Amino acid sequence: MAQADLSSPARLQQAAVPAMTPLRRFLMRFNRLFDDARLLPVLLIAPVLIFFIVWNVIPTLWMIGLSFYRYQISIPDSLAFLGIDNYTDIIRDRAMWQGLSRTFIWVFFGVGIQTLLGMVLGFLFWGSKSMPGRRLALTLLFTPMIVTPVAAGLFFRLIYEPTFGILNWFTQSFFGQEVLLLQNPEVAFWAVLFVDIWMWTPFMILITLAALASVPKAEMEAAEIDRLSWFDRIRYIILPHGKYILMLGILLRTIDSFKTLDLVYLMAVPGSTTKLIAILLRESAFEALNVGWSSALAIILLLTAIAFTSIYLYILNLNSKAKAKEVAT
Amino acid sequence: MNRARGWRKTAYHVLLWVIALIFFAPILWIIMGAFKTTDGILAVPPQFVFVPTLDNFVDLFNRPNVLRYLGNSILMSSASVGIAIVVAFLAAYAFSRFKPRGTSFLMFMLLSIRMVPAVAVVIPVSLMYSALQWKDTYFGMIMIYAMFSIPFSVWILKGFVDGVSQRYDETALINGGSRWHIIFRVILPQVAPGLVAAFIFNLIFVWNEFLFSLILGGRDTTSIPVSFSTDLYSDGGVDWTFTASMATVYMIPPILSILFFQKYLLVGMTFGTVRGEV
Amino acid sequence: MNRVSRRSSRLVVIALLVLTSLVLSVVPAMSQDAHPLAGQSIEMSILGIGGWLPSSLGAQMANDLFVGYAQENYGYNVSFTFTESPFESLFQRAAASLQTGSDEFNIIISDSQWLGALATPGWIVDIDGLIENGLPDLGIDPQPSLDLELFSDVARTTYQVFPDGSDEIWGLPQEGDVQVLFVRTDIVNNPDEMAAFEAANGFAIPSTFEEWEVLTMDQFELIAGFFTRPDQDLYGVAMQHSIVYDFYSMQLYPFMWSLGGQAWDPATRTMVGVLDTPVNAEAMEWNRRMLNYTPPGALSMGIGENVDAFTQGKVATSIQWAAVGLSMVTDENRDVVAIVPPPQFVREDGTTSRVYSMGGQPWVLNAFNPADKMRVAVDFLNWWYLPETQLEFAIRGGNPTVAATLNDPTFDDINPWNRAYKYMLQNDRAQDFWHEPNYAEMLALQQEAFTAFAAGEYNDALSVLNFVACEQQQILFDNGRTEVAPPDECEDAEPQ
Repeated sequence: MAQADLSSPARLQQAAVPAMTPLRRFLMRFNRLFDDARLLPVLLIAPVLIFFIVWNVIPTLWMIGLSFYRYQISIPDSLAFLGIDNYTDIIRDRAMWQGLSRTFIWVFFGVGIQTLLGMVLGFLFWGSKSMPGRRLALTLLFTPMIVTPVAAGLFFRLIYEPTFGILNWFTQSFFGQEVLLLQNPEVAFWAVLFVDIWMWTPFMILITLAALASVPKAEMEAAEIDRLSWFDRIRYIILPHGKYILMLGILLRTIDSFKTLDLVYLMAVPGSTTKLIAILLRESAFEALNVGWSSALAIILLLTAIAFTSIYLYILNLNSKAKAKEVAT
Repeated sequence: MNRARGWRKTAYHVLLWVIALIFFAPILWIIMGAFKTTDGILAVPPQFVFVPTLDNFVDLFNRPNVLRYLGNSILMSSASVGIAIVVAFLAAYAFSRFKPRGTSFLMFMLLSIRMVPAVAVVIPVSLMYSALQWKDTYFGMIMIYAMFSIPFSVWILKGFVDGVSQRYDETALINGGSRWHIIFRVILPQVAPGLVAAFIFNLIFVWNEFLFSLILGGRDTTSIPVSFSTDLYSDGGVDWTFTASMATVYMIPPILSILFFQKYLLVGMTFGTVRGEV
Repeated sequence: MNRVSRRSSRLVVIALLVLTSLVLSVVPAMSQDAHPLAGQSIEMSILGIGGWLPSSLGAQMANDLFVGYAQENYGYNVSFTFTESPFESLFQRAAASLQTGSDEFNIIISDSQWLGALATPGWIVDIDGLIENGLPDLGIDPQPSLDLELFSDVARTTYQVFPDGSDEIWGLPQEGDVQVLFVRTDIVNNPDEMAAFEAANGFAIPSTFEEWEVLTMDQFELIAGFFTRPDQDLYGVAMQHSIVYDFYSMQLYPFMWSLGGQAWDPATRTMVGVLDTPVNAEAMEWNRRMLNYTPPGALSMGIGENVDAFTQGKVATSIQWAAVGLSMVTDENRDVVAIVPPPQFVREDGTTSRVYSMGGQPWVLNAFNPADKMRVAVDFLNWWYLPETQLEFAIRGGNPTVAATLNDPTFDDINPWNRAYKYMLQNDRAQDFWHEPNYAEMLALQQEAFTAFAAGEYNDALSVLNFVACEQQQILFDNGRTEVAPPDECEDAEPQ
C-alpha cells in the first residue's frame, strides 16, 4: 500500500527531472520510509537485532538445549537426553570449583592491579600536555594491548626461560640469583598474571585519561582557586565525574578477564595451578569433545557473569540517579 | 625558581618516558628479535647490540600464503568492524532519540554477548555454520566478527549521540531535512571520535582473534593469528625468527592507528561525555 | 528462419554422429588401462603436523614427485595444498572439519593415538576394507598393494591398528619414529673428562654404539650428573617434561615399561590396578629425579625446546625423537654428535629391559572424499609405498617403516640416526599406548597430574597414579569402552 502511495509522485518527479535514475528513486523511497516516526526506530534497530538473533540468540539457545543432553562429537549416536544431570555433575565436580576459585583470584588481582596501576599512571600522564613526543610515548605505552596473545605468550615464555631468557640473565648478573617462574607451582600463577597485567594496564590508563578528560575544566579551575587538596579534588570533583567511565572500563576488563584463555594456555605451566575455568572449558569442549557437559558449564558461567554485571550496572545506575537528583535540587 | 620548576618538569617528563618505555620493552624485545638470527635470539648473554639482518622478513614474505593470510586478516577485520559500526550507529541513534521500550534491557543483552565464553559458544556456532555451509566463507567470518563488534560500538556511540543536542535534529527537521539527512549529515560528523574509537577497539579484538578463526575458518579464510599458532614450529622447534618477524609486521597497522588516531581514541573512551581535546 | 533452423539442426545431428564415431573408434585404442581421471585436473589437500619435518616432507614429495608421476602414469593433473597444525591442535582442527562431513582435507597425517578418535565416528576410511574390497561405491578396486610388509610388528600396532589388540587397520604408516639418545661426543668423550669420570665412578663413559647399547639408566644417571654444571651453563640431559600435548607422558612411559609396568590392560581396557602399581610409582619418582640433570626450565621443555638446548650446546645428551634428527644434527655439530640407543633399565629380578615410546604418524583418508579425490588419494598411497619413493623419503630425512626399505643394506648409512632408529623399532624395545576415541581427554588428564607431580605440587606418586587410573577408567566406562567400572575406592582417589 505504501508503495502505491509513493509511486505516483515519484513518477511525476521522474517526468520533471530527467536525471532520476532507478537508484535515486529507490533511495528517495527509502528516505521517506525513514521519515515514518513509528517505523523509523524499528528500522534502525532491526540490523542489530538480526545480528543479535542469528549470531547470538540462536547459538545460545542451541547451547542451552545441548546442555540437557549427553552429546560427545567423537562418539556416534551418543546423543541422549539427560535432564539436568550435566548441571548436577558440574556442581559436584571438584576441578570446576578449583578452576572457578582460581579464576576469581585471577580476576580480582588482575583487574584490581590493572585498575590501581592504570589510575596512578593515567593520573601521572594527565598533566603532561606539554611533554615532548607525548603522542609517541602514549603510543608506546598502549602497545601491549594490541599485541597478539599468541606472540605475547610465546615471547614471555622465552623471557622467563631460565636458560635462554633475558630475565634470568638479569637476575643472575645483578643478584646472582636464578629465578624459576613457570616451573615453580608457587609462583607460576603470578608470573602468568603479570603478563596479563602488563597487557591490560595500558587499557586502564586509557580509561583513566578519558575519565579525567570528562571532568569539566571549570570545576577543576575553581578547585585550583579554592586551593583544594589533591585528595579532595579527587574525591569531590574527579571521581563523581569520572566514575561512570572508570566503572565501564573495569566492567569490560572484568568480563574479558573472566574468559582469559589464549595467554594462559600458551604459557604451558606444568600441573594445575593455572587451570582457569576457561581452560577447563576448553578441555571439555575440545579435548573431550563433550559438548553437552561443556555447554552446561558455559551456561553456568554466563549466568555468573550476568549476575556480576547486573550488580555492577545496578551500582552504576544508583550513582547516576543520585547524581541526577543532586543536579535537580 | 623558574629554573627549578623547569628542572622538575624535565624530570617529570623523563619519568613518563621511562614508564612508557618499560611497558614497551617486551615489545621492543620482540621487534629486536625480528632482526636477529635464531642463534641471536637465544644467545646468552642476550644481544642488545647486534648487526641487524633483514633475512627474516625476506623469508617471511617468501613463505607461501603469508600475504594471503595477511590479506584475509585485513579484509575480515576491516569489513566486519565497518559493518558493525554502521549498524551500531543506526541503533545507537534510535536508542538515544526514540528511547524505545526495553532500551536498557537490550543494551544489557548486547553486552552479554561479550560474556559468553568463546570456547563454549564456538561449538553451537560451528554446528550452525556447517548446517548453513557458512564455514570457511568470508561471509560467515565477517558476520560473526561483526556480531562481536556490535555491543561495544553501540555502547560507545549511544553515549556520543546522547551528547549531541536534540536541537540539531529539530532544527534540521524544521528546515525540511529527512531523517536520513539528519542521521548521516548532521549527527554522524559530530560523533566521529566515537566512531574512530569504536573502530580501533574492535579492530584490535578482531585482528587478534584466534579461536573462531581456527574452528570456523579453514584454508580459504586463514587469518594471521591462526597462522601464528600453526606455523610457529619448524622442524620440531619453535620458529623464533618467524614468530618475531610476523609479530612485528602484524603489529604495524594497530600501532599506526593508535599513533594517528590517538586523539579520537581518548575522546572515544569518554563515551561521549567530552567531544573536544583531551 | 524456420528453414535455417531446420538445416542447422540437421548439421548438428551430423556433427554428433561424426563425433560419436570418432570417440567410439578412439576409446578402444586407449585400451582398458586408461585411468578414469585421465585429462582431468584435481586439487588435493593434505592436513599435517605443523613444523614437523616428516609431515612437510610428505607434502613436499607429493608436489615434487607424485605430480609428475601421476601425469606420466595416469594422465591427470594433480596439485597438493598443505595445511599445518601443531600437535596439540591438529586433532581439533581435523575434528572440526570432519565432524561436518567436509572433504576440506582429503588426506590427513594423524598422530598414531588419534586412530580411535577418528575411526569411531566413521570419519576415516577403513583400510582393511580398502585392501580387500576396495570402495565399490566410489568405483575403487581392492588394493592388495596397500597390505604392507612392515619392518616390525610394533609399526603395525602403532600406526595401523584400532581397537588395540585387534587386527582392524585404519591407517598406513607415514613416518616411523622412536626415541634415541643424542650425544655430544666433544663434551662426553673428551679424554680428560672420560678419565676423570672413570676415576670417580669406576666405569668408562661409552664411546661406541655397542658400548652405549649396554649402558644402564643407573649408569646414565651418573654420566648425566657428572656433566650437570650450572656454573658452566651445561646440563647432563635434555628430555621433554612439558605439559603440552603428550610430551611428559611420552618420556615417562619408558621408565614404567622398562621397569616392568604397564599403561593399561588393552584386552579388558583396565586402568585401575594396572597403571597405579608400585613399580610405576617408582618409575615416576625416577623420572622426576632426572630433573636434577636437566636445564632449569626442563618442566617447560618439549620437543622444540629440547632441540634448542641441544643445538645451542647447553646439554651433553638428549633423549629425543629420531624424527627431528635433521634439526638436532646441524652443520656446526655434525661431526660431534653420536646417535645411539637410549639406556636400558635393570629390573628388580636383575634382567635388563629397554622399552621406549613410539612416535610417528600414519596417513589416514577422509571418508567423505568424493570419488575423484579418493582415487587420487589411493593412487598417492600406492605411489608412497613404492621402494624408490620410500628410499627418497629416507634420503630427505624421513623414517620409513616398510621392511624392504629398512632391510636394504644401504639404509643404515643414509642418515646418522638410522642405525639407532632401526635398533629401537623392534617389538620388545618400543611400544605405543591407547588409541582410544577418548584419547585427548585421557591424555590431558594425566599430563596435568603427572606434571603437577614433577613440579612438586603432589609428592605421592602412587596416589597420583591411582587418581589418574580412576578418572581414566571412569572415562572409558562412561563411554562404553570397557566393562570394567571404576572400583568404589575411586570415590576417594585424590592426588597428594
